[in-house]
Amino acid sequence: MRLPIAKLIHTAAVLAALAGLYALSVYKHEQRDAQRRAPVSLTPGCADKLQRYGLVADKFYRSPYALERTGAARMARAYGPEDVRAIQRGCNIVDDTQGELAKTSIERWNASRFIRGSHASCDHCHQSIGDKQDTAGNPLKGSLSLGASWVMADMYDRFTGLLLPFELRQMQCFINSSNGYKPNISDDLIRDVTAYSRFLSAALDLRIANHYDEQGIDEIAASATFKQGDDYVRGEALFKQKCAVCHGPQAQGQVVDGRVFAPALAGPNAWNMQSRNYFYYVSTILPGFICRNMPLGQENTLTNQECRDIAYFISNLPRPAGDKQGPLMALQQQLLMNVIPPLVRATEHVTAPQTPAPLQESEQ
Amino acid sequence: MKALALRWGALVRTHGLGFNTHLVVGLTLALVTLPQAVAFSVTLAGVPPHFGIYAAIWGVLFCALLNPSPVFHGGPNTAMSAAVGVILLPIAPPFGAEYMGFALTLGLMTGLIQLLFWLVRPLGRMLDLMSEPVINGMICGIGLFLIFKSLTTFGGLPLNTQVEWPLWIAGQSLLAVLEVGNPYAIEIGLITLATSVVMQQFGRLRSWAILGGIAAGTLYAEWLNRRYGLGTTLVEQIGNLSAIRPFLPSVPTFSQEVMHDIVAIVPGAVTLALLGLFQTVAALRRMSRKAGGFADSRGAIFSDAVTNCALPFLSSLPSCASFNRMWLVHKLGIHSRITIAASAVLLLLLVLFFAPVIAIIPMPAMAAIIMLLGANMLKWEDVKPHLANRREAVVFIGAFLAVLFLDLFGAVLVGCLLAIAYSKWEQAHPNISLHGDVLKIRGNIYYGSLPVIEKVYHQALSATDKLVIDFSQVYYIDPEGMRWLAAARTAGHATFIDRRSGRDRRDHQAVSSEIAQQRRAKHDRRHKVDL
Repeated sequence: MRLPIAKLIHTAAVLAALAGLYALSVYKHEQRDAQRRAPVSLTPGCADKLQRYGLVADKFYRSPYALERTGAARMARAYGPEDVRAIQRGCNIVDDTQGELAKTSIERWNASRFIRGSHASCDHCHQSIGDKQDTAGNPLKGSLSLGASWVMADMYDRFTGLLLPFELRQMQCFINSSNGYKPNISDDLIRDVTAYSRFLSAALDLRIANHYDEQGIDEIAASATFKQGDDYVRGEALFKQKCAVCHGPQAQGQVVDGRVFAPALAGPNAWNMQSRNYFYYVSTILPGFICRNMPLGQENTLTNQECRDIAYFISNLPRPAGDKQGPLMALQQQLLMNVIPPLVRATEHVTAPQTPAPLQESEQ
Repeated sequence: MKALALRWGALVRTHGLGFNTHLVVGLTLALVTLPQAVAFSVTLAGVPPHFGIYAAIWGVLFCALLNPSPVFHGGPNTAMSAAVGVILLPIAPPFGAEYMGFALTLGLMTGLIQLLFWLVRPLGRMLDLMSEPVINGMICGIGLFLIFKSLTTFGGLPLNTQVEWPLWIAGQSLLAVLEVGNPYAIEIGLITLATSVVMQQFGRLRSWAILGGIAAGTLYAEWLNRRYGLGTTLVEQIGNLSAIRPFLPSVPTFSQEVMHDIVAIVPGAVTLALLGLFQTVAALRRMSRKAGGFADSRGAIFSDAVTNCALPFLSSLPSCASFNRMWLVHKLGIHSRITIAASAVLLLLLVLFFAPVIAIIPMPAMAAIIMLLGANMLKWEDVKPHLANRREAVVFIGAFLAVLFLDLFGAVLVGCLLAIAYSKWEQAHPNISLHGDVLKIRGNIYYGSLPVIEKVYHQALSATDKLVIDFSQVYYIDPEGMRWLAAARTAGHATFIDRRSGRDRRDHQAVSSEIAQQRRAKHDRRHKVDL
């Protein structure tokens, strides 16, 4: 008689666990629904941008940007209140991925949980909330515009030859460029950023399947240089001269008053070894980014060769391993990231006595 | 025709089962195999359901005809199907024509590698060195892996198309299911799970648990669809089974353009071949022992290899032994390969007539079944004995973690290394005891164990300058061991005694002094002759 009772308890426990799982899923779904319905408190940058582009819930949308520049704008089917909130959330995610400006912890749900480290944010690469322009409002070449990317959505990926939907490309950003976890493709996070990118393309009057200069990177191959080869020593000198002021002497980034002032380019908070920013994976992208977007305020001042040298130097600093490189590589990179920076700091006065006192680096 | 029928009848009679019994048992087996076949191909391997169904028909039939053991049940296998999915995901998008072609190529390469294991006898013999803790550790790891892998399908979420370490993503997948999963899919999955779990508790219903669960899940899904419409519920179904016909020939992809992809999946094919053979050999060993018989594993390797070479030309997934179905065969008391072959034919008839019913089975129900099978692979009764012994526990946990943290190929390699390391470690540590000036060695004297022996020997020599080395329980001495022993003897520190010496001989003399007297007399006579 004892056996059936044990069996009964076992079955009851399993069924109770399943019921608990169901209750939890119902609760979580409701929580998520409440977040979708709640009004969005925009970051200052997003409030400006979305107002400038005239985002309101209406029947039709006519881009103020296109109207101002060309005198004519297409009439497009516009957005319901739900779509407007999705676009606003998407903008918030791109502008403030780490949730530094979020007022409640629930607002930070958006992206920070898919990111390892405390520096990475979408607008570090996709600058000016994914829509970088000069003072006259012209889009800039190689500025990784999200709107121009969206109209190129679902194109074949140059590097793998596979059809790469916009959502999957975003997932790659989360996994590699922010060294994070993979959000499910139907997660709100991915949908919201897609909605925002799509709105940008409408606001900037970009046409689907066209290629624009501001899309992606203005890649710099070795053939576009003086062909001196990529040099670590030149790169290091340039880095100390041009980049270390903001990014720190070992490129570990700077945090001021709890907010990221300049993101890490190496170490645990940086992109990983399978990101396309990594020189050994794709050697043309990081130099292109540096030439067109860095140093902030003095863009396009570095020569192609200098950009390649700096990129080469940065990529030789220890950073996290990629997600497909296996546990051994991950272990090795963890070891390097923990050993090399203190070692360099300790031996700095011996190896480079002439250089000025190193900038105080943040520990965050 | 009549002669054939007579012969068939005779065969059936000699196996002691009536025709009706064959039919009922065959039908049971077919009904148990069908949902597994569909679930494995769709949720794990990423190929349309007919791949699994053909494996369940032709794989079972070929194995039943070729395998030396009459209770052998081949067909689609959980771990192998999961491995197909993991290997091919980086190569092509699942369910596409390209992917299916690569799946067939992978199967053919698997069969050819397995054929190599049959042709090269020592390679086949190596499979026997795979110890139980390694296999059980890998089975437990794969069980956990299956649970994680089916989470997204369970929640009606799209499959993630990139491969990652399963453990890294498991927590995120669970959160995604809870937060953004399709609520209808979750309900269907939970109902399937609950029904199966309850049915599993009753001995009689156990074999029907999977079928019952799927039936409950499908009925609920149908009710939902009637009430809200498929456009609202958006629950994915197995769908089109029009490819099912008695015989569907296919050709594996093999051309110059895709050669780099084919080369890239060669390690995967080795993994798949090993995974299949390990399970076949282990299942054969275990089930033959249970039935009180013995079946040669070489024959099983041959049957697997030939089957897997043929299956890619019949649009089918690779096949190997299935623990759970062989257990069922054993429970049903079948000792005839005819019943198993009949089950394959019955399955073919079943899918030909009931394809529309199979097509409406919801995917979350399939995922729930996979999760259940995964949970059933994690059995405390299988784990517990391995944790009692420390060395075995290390091997078991190593194999378990290897599946979770490395890819399957890495896990197979680690498993082999652990099995070899375990046996070598045992051999390299002979039991050495020192009583007075007698050094007794139990075990092997070879290059691996010599350092251990030498250490004790020299420690003993520091106390006395004369030692007696007792070999009576040494099984094997290699040339290096011989040289060391010879050197020890010439140095004059050691004398040797062999079997049946010392106390053994004295005991023997005490028991039969008469025989001892006779022997002494014989000895004396011989010495006289010599003199």
